[in-house]
Amino acid sequence: MFTELNSILNASPDSITPGELIVVSDRQSDASFLVHHFLSFYLRARCKVCFLGLVQSFCHYSAVSQRLGLSLTQAKERGQLVFLEGLKDSLSILIPQERNAESQAMDFLQDPAAGLRSLYEFVQSSVTGSGSSEDWGPPVLLVDDLSVLLSLGVSAGAVLDFSHYCRATICSQLQGNMVMLVRCSGEEEEEDGDEGSERLLKGLTHQCTLTLHVQGLPTGFCKDIHGQVEVCRRRRRGDLQHNQNKLFQYKVHDKGASFFARGTSSAVL
Amino acid sequence: MLSELLQGTDSGGLLVIQDTCRYSGRDLLRSFISAALSRGDVVHVLGFDVDEEELKDGLKTPDSQALHIHSAYADPLGWNDHSAFTVNNFNLEELTNLVKQTSDLKPATLVIDSLSWVLRHVAPPAVCRILHQLRKGGAVRTVIALLHADLHQRGTVGSLSHLASSLITVAPGVRANEAVAKITKHLKSGKVIQDEEIFSVNEDLTVIVHSKHPEHKQNDAEEEQMDPTANLTFNLRLSDSEAEAKNKLTLPFVFSKEKSETFSRCFFFKHCKTFQFYLKCIKCKNNCFVLQENRSTSSRYGFWADSL
Amino acid sequence: MAAPVRSMDKTSAESLSSNNTSFQKKTKSKLISIPGTRPSVQNGQLLVSTGVTSLDYLLGGGLAVGTVLLIGEDRYDSYSRMILKYFLAEGVVCRHELFVAAAQDNPDDILQELPAPILDDVAIPKAVEQPRLPCEPRDSLEAMNIAWRYQNLPKVQSFLASSSRFGHYYDVSKTMEPEIRLASKSRNILRVGLHSLGSALWGDDLSCHDNPKHRHALTTFLYGLRALMRSSLSVAVVTLPSHLIQDRALMGSITRLCDNAIALESFKGSERETNPLYKDYHGLLQVLQVPHLNCLASQLPDHKDLAFKLKRKQFSIERLHLPPDLSETVSRVSRGELAGSPVSACGSGAPGTKHLDF
Repeated sequence: MFTELNSILNASPDSITPGELIVVSDRQSDASFLVHHFLSFYLRARCKVCFLGLVQSFCHYSAVSQRLGLSLTQAKERGQLVFLEGLKDSLSILIPQERNAESQAMDFLQDPAAGLRSLYEFVQSSVTGSGSSEDWGPPVLLVDDLSVLLSLGVSAGAVLDFSHYCRATICSQLQGNMVMLVRCSGEEEEEDGDEGSERLLKGLTHQCTLTLHVQGLPTGFCKDIHGQVEVCRRRRRGDLQHNQNKLFQYKVHDKGASFFARGTSSAVL
Repeated sequence: MLSELLQGTDSGGLLVIQDTCRYSGRDLLRSFISAALSRGDVVHVLGFDVDEEELKDGLKTPDSQALHIHSAYADPLGWNDHSAFTVNNFNLEELTNLVKQTSDLKPATLVIDSLSWVLRHVAPPAVCRILHQLRKGGAVRTVIALLHADLHQRGTVGSLSHLASSLITVAPGVRANEAVAKITKHLKSGKVIQDEEIFSVNEDLTVIVHSKHPEHKQNDAEEEQMDPTANLTFNLRLSDSEAEAKNKLTLPFVFSKEKSETFSRCFFFKHCKTFQFYLKCIKCKNNCFVLQENRSTSSRYGFWADSL
Repeated sequence: MAAPVRSMDKTSAESLSSNNTSFQKKTKSKLISIPGTRPSVQNGQLLVSTGVTSLDYLLGGGLAVGTVLLIGEDRYDSYSRMILKYFLAEGVVCRHELFVAAAQDNPDDILQELPAPILDDVAIPKAVEQPRLPCEPRDSLEAMNIAWRYQNLPKVQSFLASSSRFGHYYDVSKTMEPEIRLASKSRNILRVGLHSLGSALWGDDLSCHDNPKHRHALTTFLYGLRALMRSSLSVAVVTLPSHLIQDRALMGSITRLCDNAIALESFKGSERETNPLYKDYHGLLQVLQVPHLNCLASQLPDHKDLAFKLKRKQFSIERLHLPPDLSETVSRVSRGELAGSPVSACGSGAPGTKHLDF
């Protein structure tokens, strides 16, 4: 959990805004450090967390969380965290002889054109299921990252359907929160057809309440400033839309990240 | 022109509100619902993008008998098996039935939030045909649809805007809470009216039009043609003699052989005592004294030294 | 098309069933027990050498076990193939298992071309000494025209290497003796080398069409490869003809599915070959991606302009910089000709193409 980011977003683990859908995106940069932030943020907020870790192994997330002062293994044991390890589960489908019918969450790999209903059903059962004795707060879904589903052959429309269903269940019905990471590669202005991560990102931006967009510095590579984050709050129910964009530069450390206004890095002052 | 469209003075048709992810057109769409309800029209809303609560939020009469919301938000594809209306019901027959079974004899207004959702599952030509035939059937007088233009191919957006009798494209304005609407209206006579207005939507969903024609930045073109090198107070080019003189100069701070010899003989402390801040002298090799500023007592740098 | 040096199926099944993920922190005694590996200084990750010492340095000490390195091939696939061979040769010397797959030619051919190791340790200091650039500190330094405040700056070391030695040196002019290759291997790290993945010979249409139909076939494979690597003690190097893939978004997702990614661009056949700036090098190397495993921050290389060169015996990667202009007059004489470029870059609106002196 990065305290500086909390103050930028005006959030604290003590009070969770219900129904928030946060889209974290990056372009020629890496925004996955923000996923770790939100994971530890919601675990600290005592929310029931469902994490779809599609791109890294559990050990990676666990080791990073350890640095941020949290134990994922304990959270799993207490029933607070439901962790889907996409890499591990996909092996049983990609290498059929090792098939064991543990979970159907990654079944879409067999027929990517059929959509992500099985994955949604996994999410739904893990946020509504009461497998623990303790009473946890509102449910939270985190996805790292959504765009890898496109690489696995799922269409952008099907991913948007999946996120719509998750939003309807988690944000609207259960008043929880969602954080989704989408990674893009090309230039923004590029007209690269309608398929792919651009369309996914735009579709999600229409659904979300907050976007965090991470980019490299426009002036090029710098060792002391890793890039910039654009924070854009979209309308929430009740207040009319006012598009406030805020731009911050950031640097990722070993145990966190620091955010500062443009040009105020300690390296240049 | 925006207020005319809101009042619904014309005889109906297809009104498309185009937005992008930079500015949501949903507030404007809800203003249209609010305006239609206050006129006493029967309004049917097909809600895909947001839930019923959010659609009703801010309406003066949210429980009005004239407002029928068919929400497919919670289960648009029938995955959970408890939805009355899904995207599969988006065909001419079922839509006509849906509108007819609840409304009075009066033709209704159909609001679609949003067409983008429908277009993900229904082919664009089918959507165009359904929208076109709905109005011919007589049950629906006006169709108002929201379209997220940045989610579709240009051709899809183009065909739908071609079909529309009125098209409003919204974009964020310069000031917060303000937005720019570009309005194109096809009249039956074949005349086309275009307009651009700045508007904002209030909390009670009334629309305020700020100005008819937003002022354009007229200076842009002029600025581009400015020559930055004109009217300079100095030369940009050197004459031959000047260039020669420049090339003869030795650059300052270059450690040449002669200088290094002088350095080894000189001392740097002549004006030491006139400094306001305390300077420390450290003797180093080559018999050269180097002044070192004591940083803890001074806030600024800067000292000068003369060679003896 | 694949040539497992030992039975591949057995190895992967064993390593899978042992549930031995490579990202667990291992005890020190276990680390030492695997030849050719060492723990990362930064995150305790188990590293193996790529065989190219300077590349190891760029990738933060070496390749982490359980990761995939993507090499974007140069136009004629001469240098990317070279790195792949280095990678395999290092595996042979460290007695790792090898798995080689290639569509273009028989994988055995690649194995037969492996460079011969220079096992004699005396040769190492010589290898470090060799890549001496004309700009490296010489006795004539005092004569250089350099503002004296810059004289205390640390000297730029263009040769990339870490202080401690890791990996071996190879002589690319000789091939490895077959006896070394066939020496018995203990079950430890599996090195997977996949040559020219995504080319038409593998049956993919990625490089043939602007908008390939089966665009997700390769990415799905890479996802599965990552999953396999993560759950076993193995490390993979994949070369890919990236210059043939037109779709940049596809290339981006391929890159993101590999952990490390570098791209090679050789000067052969490009106008850069004749550029005097590059006369000391054979091509440029770009580090596209470095992984951040088990930690938040990734170890970014401190220098982005890199070039490689192939000397008679050795392939090495160096920092790219301009050779110093030792003669005092050259820059001023040629000023007139050169002045055109900065002017066009900043003074776009300036009329006329006459040179400016400021």
